[in-house]
Amino acid sequence: MVLEAEIEVRRGDVTVAAAFSAGDRETVGLLGPNGAGKTTIVETIAGLVPAASGRILLDDEPIHDLPPERRPIGIAFQDGVLFPHLSVMENVAFPVRARGARSRAARERAFELLEWLAPGIDPGAKPGTLSGGERQRVALARALAGTPRVLILDEPLSAVDVSARAELRALLRRTLRGFAGPRLLVTHDPVEAMTLADRVVVLESGRITQTGTPDEIRDAPRTRYAADLVGMNLFAGRLTPLEAGAGALETADGVVTVPWPEGRAVGPIDDVLATLAPADVALHAVRPEGSARNVVHGVVDEVAILGDRARVRLNGSPRLVAEITTGSVARMAIRSGGAVWASFKAVEIHLMVERGPTDTL
Amino acid sequence: MRARLPLVIVALASLGATFVLLPVVALFVRAPWNRLAGALSGVGASTALRLSIEVSLAATAISVAVGVPLAWVLARGEFPGRSLLRAAVVLPIVLPPVVGGVGLLVALGRSGVVGRWLHDALGIQLTFTTAGAVVATTFVSMPLVVLATEAGLRGLDLRYERAAAAMGGSAWYVFRRVTLPMVAPQLAAGAVLTWARALGEFGATITFAGNLAGRTQTMPLAVFEARQIDPGGAIVLSLILVVVSVSVLVALGGRLTGLR
Repeated sequence: MVLEAEIEVRRGDVTVAAAFSAGDRETVGLLGPNGAGKTTIVETIAGLVPAASGRILLDDEPIHDLPPERRPIGIAFQDGVLFPHLSVMENVAFPVRARGARSRAARERAFELLEWLAPGIDPGAKPGTLSGGERQRVALARALAGTPRVLILDEPLSAVDVSARAELRALLRRTLRGFAGPRLLVTHDPVEAMTLADRVVVLESGRITQTGTPDEIRDAPRTRYAADLVGMNLFAGRLTPLEAGAGALETADGVVTVPWPEGRAVGPIDDVLATLAPADVALHAVRPEGSARNVVHGVVDEVAILGDRARVRLNGSPRLVAEITTGSVARMAIRSGGAVWASFKAVEIHLMVERGPTDTL
Repeated sequence: MRARLPLVIVALASLGATFVLLPVVALFVRAPWNRLAGALSGVGASTALRLSIEVSLAATAISVAVGVPLAWVLARGEFPGRSLLRAAVVLPIVLPPVVGGVGLLVALGRSGVVGRWLHDALGIQLTFTTAGAVVATTFVSMPLVVLATEAGLRGLDLRYERAAAAMGGSAWYVFRRVTLPMVAPQLAAGAVLTWARALGEFGATITFAGNLAGRTQTMPLAVFEARQIDPGGAIVLSLILVVVSVSVLVALGGRLTGLR
């Protein structure tokens, strides 16, 4: 199953134009600032917003002329948009009932999905009594209930408490991976895009500015926005205690010293995500002596110039991206193939501690 | 903590409450309690009351059946002359009911514009029939449920209906399962007001349907007639209407009507 979209939509004074595709079992993240047109694009694909021109194909079959109810698309809206007058179970059963199934069959399907995605939630409860995270779980179950061929998640974590976010992110990852078909994930959160998407489409002011895998965009962002938000260093791995207030994060290509997560018992923690802004990485010609806990020696892979800034990709342990001024690049004579030292403080690292299994279905 | 009310507000509110309650109290004071049974049978109270309830309920049912779709068209439709249509829908509220009755007469009376055809081709006569009383009452009371439902539809977040369409719901399914239940409170409040207005309808009914005991003589018409021959009986009939109205409003409570 392949989804291809090439659409132009007018929204007030703004025209949103985008052409992209999502392959079978591929998660495409639509990433951009608020107002970039991300939601407009997915709502056009779902048939809720009329396109000024273009086409939407599903396995080469045009679906852009179909009314929304006949498009095989499951969508979890931002903030859920659960029907307030229906119970949790009735909400999840809605797409099944709407497509003509009997009430009993619809209920069975709803219970099955709720058991999997929202086990702690009373099926008889009204959506108004649920927390943001619970509403999102129900919205996810409802999006899947009609056995769609394309799955769309619109800002699934934006209305969710920070405390519930990590667990829900893990659930989203499992759900996305388990869905056999194209999946679209709308988000303004780079970490969400980088951790959940196979490919990222960066959208700014109604235009696609870059498309690529998370690694490609991190290594060579094409715009200031992409550089600032997407071009983060991302570390993932197992965290073990090192000393008071600090831990060692063992990633696949090196160990990073990070602050110990607040409120967590001292002991090994699996599936920890950490981000580090490239601007917080300092480069040195000689081994630095200072307070920075993390010092990496490596060979420069690439120097990408973006305005007055340069992004230096360093092949070390771990691999790093540093952002420095072009003046510094010239002064330090940094070029690809040359060796350089990098340092960054543990306190600059932002930790996200995931709970529960992440990659099992 | 209870709100502290300025004295001026309390004084004016008391004046308003007294003004509303005074006629009701006066009815109780002047009622011919010693010959209540006689007065009741003398003016045909039970016949008029049953007819009033039948006519007002039928008018309410028709108003909801036709008025809710009308409200939907007014709230969601985009067509030239929509504001003109809304003005026309509201007109019966503004118009003196007797004018509405005259209009109905020239439209649906035996020699009326449409009524002539109804009578000659189909043998249907509305004037001087209970059906005519229902028509006149519906004409006057329907705008209330239309306006209340339209306000509810306008206040409805469109995202829910869009979501329902994206979930595979056809236009009719979305209307039935999402739109209608979500405006149910406003619709119910409008229906109660429509019924209340229908129960009190007088002018259009007497003009269009006439004043025939057992066929078109509802409670307000019976009160009007009794006034001329038996003032005591008029008071008794009025009291019955007061008791029925208050009982229904209290029974429905603030739950349906928003009238707490």
